[in-house]
Amino acid sequence: MNPAALKVNNLSVWFETGAGRLSVVDQISFSINAGDATGLVGESGCGKTMTSMAILGLLPASGVNVSSDGIEINGRDISTLNPAQRRAVLGRDIAMVFQQPATALDPVFTMGQQISAVYRRHTGDSKQQVRKKMLDALERVGFSQAEDIAASYPHELSGGMRQLAMIAMATVCKPAVIIADEPTTALDNSTRALILEQLKRLQKQNQTAILFVSHDLSVVRQLCRDVMVMYCGRLLEVTDCQSLFANARHPYSAGLLSCIPQISDKRPAPVKSIPGQIPTPADLPSGCHFAPRCSRVEAHCRTTVPELDYANGRGVACFRPL
Amino acid sequence: MSMPEKVNRPPLLEIRDLSLSFHQHRQLAVDRVSLNIAAGRTLGLVGASGAGKSSVARAILRLVEPDLGEILFKGENIYRMNPQDLKTTRQRIQLVFQDPSVSLSPRRTVEQTLLEPLQHFAIGDADHQLKKARQILQTVGLDQGALQRYPHQFSSGQQQRIAIARALVTNPDLLIADEAVSSLDVSIQAQILQLIQKLQKDFGISILFISHDLAVIRQIADDVAVMYQGQVLEQCPADQFFSEPAHPYSRYLLSFAQGKTPINRSGDKWYLERGRRSASNTSNCVFAGFCQEKMGLCDKLEPAMHDIQLKKQHALGPHCVKCHLYDEVKVNDH
Repeated sequence: MNPAALKVNNLSVWFETGAGRLSVVDQISFSINAGDATGLVGESGCGKTMTSMAILGLLPASGVNVSSDGIEINGRDISTLNPAQRRAVLGRDIAMVFQQPATALDPVFTMGQQISAVYRRHTGDSKQQVRKKMLDALERVGFSQAEDIAASYPHELSGGMRQLAMIAMATVCKPAVIIADEPTTALDNSTRALILEQLKRLQKQNQTAILFVSHDLSVVRQLCRDVMVMYCGRLLEVTDCQSLFANARHPYSAGLLSCIPQISDKRPAPVKSIPGQIPTPADLPSGCHFAPRCSRVEAHCRTTVPELDYANGRGVACFRPL
Repeated sequence: MSMPEKVNRPPLLEIRDLSLSFHQHRQLAVDRVSLNIAAGRTLGLVGASGAGKSSVARAILRLVEPDLGEILFKGENIYRMNPQDLKTTRQRIQLVFQDPSVSLSPRRTVEQTLLEPLQHFAIGDADHQLKKARQILQTVGLDQGALQRYPHQFSSGQQQRIAIARALVTNPDLLIADEAVSSLDVSIQAQILQLIQKLQKDFGISILFISHDLAVIRQIADDVAVMYQGQVLEQCPADQFFSEPAHPYSRYLLSFAQGKTPINRSGDKWYLERGRRSASNTSNCVFAGFCQEKMGLCDKLEPAMHDIQLKKQHALGPHCVKCHLYDEVKVNDH
C-alpha cells in the first residue's frame, strides 16, 4: 500500500509564557491519501491555522514551540528539514492557499511573475518553458484569457479572481498536498461555488491531497469526503462528511451543524447557537475542553480528558456521545 | 416605474427611482432602484459583490448624493431636508457594518463608543446616557464589566454585539445591517442572527439586511429584493421568493446557494470577468448576456418591473419582477 500523501503524527504547538504553557494544538494525528480531501473544521481560535502553519514549518523559530513524531509527505519526513531543504519542498511537494489573497500576493509584481517565480525556483526550465507552465496553471484553474491575467497586478483582479490566481500559483508545480486555509470565506456564494469546483477538478486531475481548513461545515461538505472537527487544539470527531451530517456523535459537532442556516420553502425555525464561547488557551478548562458549553456534560467530563476513540472508522472524543 | 404597492399604511422607508454613479457618471452603481421597507419588517437585499447593495445603504443615510430619485423616510424626502432635520433623521436610521474590528475605534472604551451617539444627538443628561449605555449593553448580552474595556479585548462576536449596541442606543426606527454577519464564524453568526431577531421582536424596528448569503437572508428576511449590476430585478415576500423565484438570475443565485452545480457551463465565469456597465448603456436587460432563458427581445428592450401576482389570489404581497418572461402577465405595459 502506498504511504499516505500527508501523514501527521502527534503534532503539538504551544507557547511558553510567564503564566505557563499555553497549548494551541494538542497532539493531533491524521493522514490524507492522494486524491482525497479532508476538512478541518472549528471556530476561530481553535488552532486550525496554527495546525496548517506548523505542518508547513512556517511558524517562527522563536517564541512558539512545535513538536511532532513526524510530518510525512509521501513517506518522507519534512518535520526535521533545515530551512534550505524546506524551501525546496514548499511549493513543490506541499503548497498553501491562504485566506486573504489580497495580503498574500505581492502588490508590485504581476500574477505571471509571481506564479513563474514559484515554478522557476523548483525547476531549471528555460524562460519559454516557465512561461508556458505558468499559463497552463492559470488555464487549469479556469481562466479563459490566461495571458491577460498573467499581465495583471493583484489589485486589478476581483477577490474571486485573485483567489483563483493564488490556487494557480499553489498548483503550478503539481504538489502532492495542498493546504487551503479558509480559501472561500471572503467570497460570495457564486464565486465560492466556482472556487470549490476548480479545487475539486485539480484534486482529481493531479491526484492532489487537500487539507481544507474552514469554519463552515456546509462548505466542507461540498469538497471533502472526510472531516475532522477541532476544538481548542484537539480533534473531537473524525469521520466522513456523510456520517457527520447524517448523525453527528460529538455534541460539539452537532452544535456546529445546527448553526448552519438552511434554505427552505417555509421560513425555517431560528438557527440554534452553541451557548458561550470558545475559551482562550490561557484558561482552558480541565477535562474535556467543551464541557462548560456542553448540554450532555456530567461530572466525569470536567476532570478527565476523553481520548479520540475509533470505532467503525469514526473517531469520537466524548464520554457521552450522541 | 415605481413599485406597484398594496394600499395600506405607508412604508417607513420608500426609495423611488434612485440612481447613483461614480467617476463622473462613467460607472453606474445604482440604477433606478425602487424599494419599500414597511414598519417592523425586514427587507433582505441580496446580490453578488459589486451589485450596488452597499451604495443603496449609503444613499439612505445620505452619505452620498444620488444623481436622480428620492428617498422618503416617514414620507419626507431625505435629500430635501435641512441639516437639522437630517441630523434628527439619522438618529432614526442606524448602520451596522461587516467587520467590527474595523468599525469600532480601537482607542475608545466600549463606554465611550456607546455614549458618543447619545452625546452627538444630545439625548438626555449624562446620568441618563450612562444608564442607557448600561441598559443597551445588557440587551445585546454583554455584562457591565465590558464598559471599561477596549474593542481588542473582545472576540469578533462580542465586537459585533458592541457595534449593534452602538447602533441601537439611539432607539432607531430603521437598522441597516450591511453584511453584518458575513465575516463571522457560523457559530457566532448564529448567535448574532438570534440577537437581531430578538431585538426586532422586542423593539419592533425595521431592518434592511444586506447580504450575499441567501441562507442567512432566509433566516431573517420577511421580504427579499435581488440586485444585479445596480438594478433590482425581483422583489417579493421571502416565502414567495424561496418557493417560486421568478427571475432567471434569482433562480441562478438560489441554485448556487443550495450547492447545486452551476446551470451554465459557458457562463461560469461571468461574475468574475464581467465589465462594469456604463451609464449610457440602458437599452437592454442587464442580465441578458448570461441568461439561460434569453429571448430576442432581451437585447433590444429593457424589461419593465411587473407585479406578476396581480391575478393570483391569496397573495402575500406584490411580487415584482423585471423580466420579459412575464410580459404577458400584465398586458399593454409597453
